[in-house]
Amino acid sequence: MLNLVFYFQVHQPYRLKHYSALEIGKNHDYFDHKLNELVTHKVADKCYIPTNNLMLKLIKQFKGQFKISYSVTGVAIEQFKKYRPDVLDSFKALAETGCVEFIGETYYHSLALLYDTEEFLEQVEMHRNLMKKEFNYYTTTFRNTELIYQDKLSDIIYDIEGFKTILTEGVDRILGWRSPLYAYKNYTGDISLLLKYYQLSDDIAFRFSNRDWPEFPLTVDKFVHWVEQLTFKEEKGRNMFLNLFMDYETFGEHQWEETGIFKFMEKLPERVLQNPNLGFAWPSQAYELSNYQQETLSFPEPVSWADAERDLSAWLENDMQKNAIETFYELVEKIREKGRYDLMEDARKLSTSDHFYYMCTKYFQDGDVHKYFSPYDSPEQAYIYFINALADLEERLND
Amino acid sequence: MACYGMVKALLQSGIEVDLVLPTKDMVYFPLRKVEDADTLPVVFLDPIKHKEYERITHETLTKRLEYLGVSFSPETYINGSELKSWTKVVEKVVVEKHHHTTIQEKIWQDLKIYLLGEENIFKKVQELTVRAEKFAKTLDFDLIHSHDWLTYPAGMLAKRLTGKPLIAHMHATEFDRSGGVGDERIHNLEYDGMSYADRVICVSKYTANMVISRYHIDSGKIRIIHNAYDVGDLIADQKDRIFKGPTILFLGRITLQKGPDYFIEIANEVLKVHPHARFIMAGTGDMSRKLLHRSAFLRLRNRFIFAGFLNRKQVETILNSVDIYILPSVSEPFGIAPLEAMAYGVTAIISKQSGVSEVVNHAYKVDFWDTKKMSEIVNYLIENPDECQEMGEKGRLEVQSISWSEAADKIISVYDEML
Repeated sequence: MLNLVFYFQVHQPYRLKHYSALEIGKNHDYFDHKLNELVTHKVADKCYIPTNNLMLKLIKQFKGQFKISYSVTGVAIEQFKKYRPDVLDSFKALAETGCVEFIGETYYHSLALLYDTEEFLEQVEMHRNLMKKEFNYYTTTFRNTELIYQDKLSDIIYDIEGFKTILTEGVDRILGWRSPLYAYKNYTGDISLLLKYYQLSDDIAFRFSNRDWPEFPLTVDKFVHWVEQLTFKEEKGRNMFLNLFMDYETFGEHQWEETGIFKFMEKLPERVLQNPNLGFAWPSQAYELSNYQQETLSFPEPVSWADAERDLSAWLENDMQKNAIETFYELVEKIREKGRYDLMEDARKLSTSDHFYYMCTKYFQDGDVHKYFSPYDSPEQAYIYFINALADLEERLND
Repeated sequence: MACYGMVKALLQSGIEVDLVLPTKDMVYFPLRKVEDADTLPVVFLDPIKHKEYERITHETLTKRLEYLGVSFSPETYINGSELKSWTKVVEKVVVEKHHHTTIQEKIWQDLKIYLLGEENIFKKVQELTVRAEKFAKTLDFDLIHSHDWLTYPAGMLAKRLTGKPLIAHMHATEFDRSGGVGDERIHNLEYDGMSYADRVICVSKYTANMVISRYHIDSGKIRIIHNAYDVGDLIADQKDRIFKGPTILFLGRITLQKGPDYFIEIANEVLKVHPHARFIMAGTGDMSRKLLHRSAFLRLRNRFIFAGFLNRKQVETILNSVDIYILPSVSEPFGIAPLEAMAYGVTAIISKQSGVSEVVNHAYKVDFWDTKKMSEIVNYLIENPDECQEMGEKGRLEVQSISWSEAADKIISVYDEML
């Protein structure tokens, strides 16, 4: 049996405004509310509302056989509440079907794991409480920001009660000859790992509408045919997991409606379920469905799902990114030391990984992706506004 | 800024100025009264165009100047629509007249050789030079006062045509601007302008030395007239800080000449001792990006801030918020900015390689390359805030005694020498 495991990432950062040096000490509002509202509306109309409606329809149509999972960040939910409560309502409607799993992560979609374990744990707890409150869902699967994973993360997550599975990228340099289609265990054998099958995930998320791609156009038949081919290799009857992990904004936002992405998704479950060897599963089922001894995998260095390198270089490569993030976590520590929790909310909104992504100076193919997602003219601009905001935050700390 | 202060002070002393700038249309600014320096009346040489122009109203002076094609940065003048062959003009004016001395022969030959260039700035200079003929024939004037190499060829042609005396005013040489060797064409045009002029005004002894040693200009016709600064009445008496900690400012173009890289090194040294200090770099330029990366590489945290380009009002705001101003220029013919900073009671540390260091006493003067010494001074001032304040106050009083009218008197006496 091959299980298709869909996990969709739902996230919207608080984008910074063009916060100038002269505003330091005078204006403590760092965020571009107009832009954030505009983007929320745009993505809600193009993606969240129509895709949620489609998913709801499919779930009802297949009566429990179509299963999907979401990771929705705290900052995204805050902005839905503020600008588009109907989006949150439609996620709640999905939650009520019982056919949706919600995945745990950091509330702020941050890189705290790499710099500040205490802060990381707090953000994870905040997110778990939020999932309970909004969707009445107790999270048991974890994915770290941008699928960033290393052995250390599994130790930390294992120590938190209730988490049984972690999602990450199926990085070739870790897997070697192994297949990402099986469930694995972390290096200590304590917690299950599901690894993104990046070829087929990216066929949908990135290549779907690319006319230069030899496989264009991607039809449901073609896609399911590829999936069926994957099952031929398994002769011992072991359950496999085809982990299709992607940004939810793939539907209608990165791939516009005109590309046929909605029609593709609409037809997919029916075609998949025609084959008795194929089905859908939630990430939380990894352990129960594994009818074999899961091998352990060690990730000594951090990996992620970003760019060709699948490492941290999208956020933490150049000096601007490093100076910005080091400054940030030093400041968080000072805020904690001084007990200035009134500043914590503003600070944490700055912890969102997107701020560091905007400062990325890698060019060529990946640079284009970064540019597409950035509200600034240049990485340097993104850096200046971020540092200015941190300067103001520190002034407030010393009030 | 220097131009504005100088023209205003000249008008005050009864000198009438026809200001010719590289504008889109053929216009000049007839300045007769002091107020004209602020309103800038305009006359089009073409009477029909002038009538058209008079029907247009502009909300602000800046909008009007934009319409005429004058922008804040002198590198962005006009389109080349009316650009005829400037070499023809040079030939017509120069070659048909004869009896040149060998030196003069060289100068005019130079003009044809060195004014060649496809760069925007050379195009503008060519254009202004072409227009000089018409202006020289149309306007009624006693002498020609050319400012910097951009206007020297035009001034030379005007002198050639009218026989009126020419003054070449040296605000900056190519050595200063480039922070190194510079463009050979510009050096030659500077040399030609100064050689052909009847008087050369230098904005400092520093510049005069350079004019003598590097251009070999006859010292007998050089006059040193320092730039000045008029303290406005907008200055607030109360400091309005941005940062609680001691704040140190760089304000100027972020380019080699201004030594912004030395400022970063000073910040790096000082922050090791006084991490609560804050450094602000205001301005833009070709080195901005490089220095931003440098500050990040040095991990100067959120203690080194880039303020970008600031307008007039913002400059005043920032000067009113800082404690120490550093001018680490590699080569600064004069440098008015420190005077402005001092007017705000800001303690100034200025490069010895500057003209401004000749006119002020209450400022620290250090070689631009001596970042160790500059860092020590900053540290000392941070550790002794009372002394910092006292120095700033002395500087503030000192700057009040400086005025453009004094500089204007000296300029007028140079005029008198020739009339």
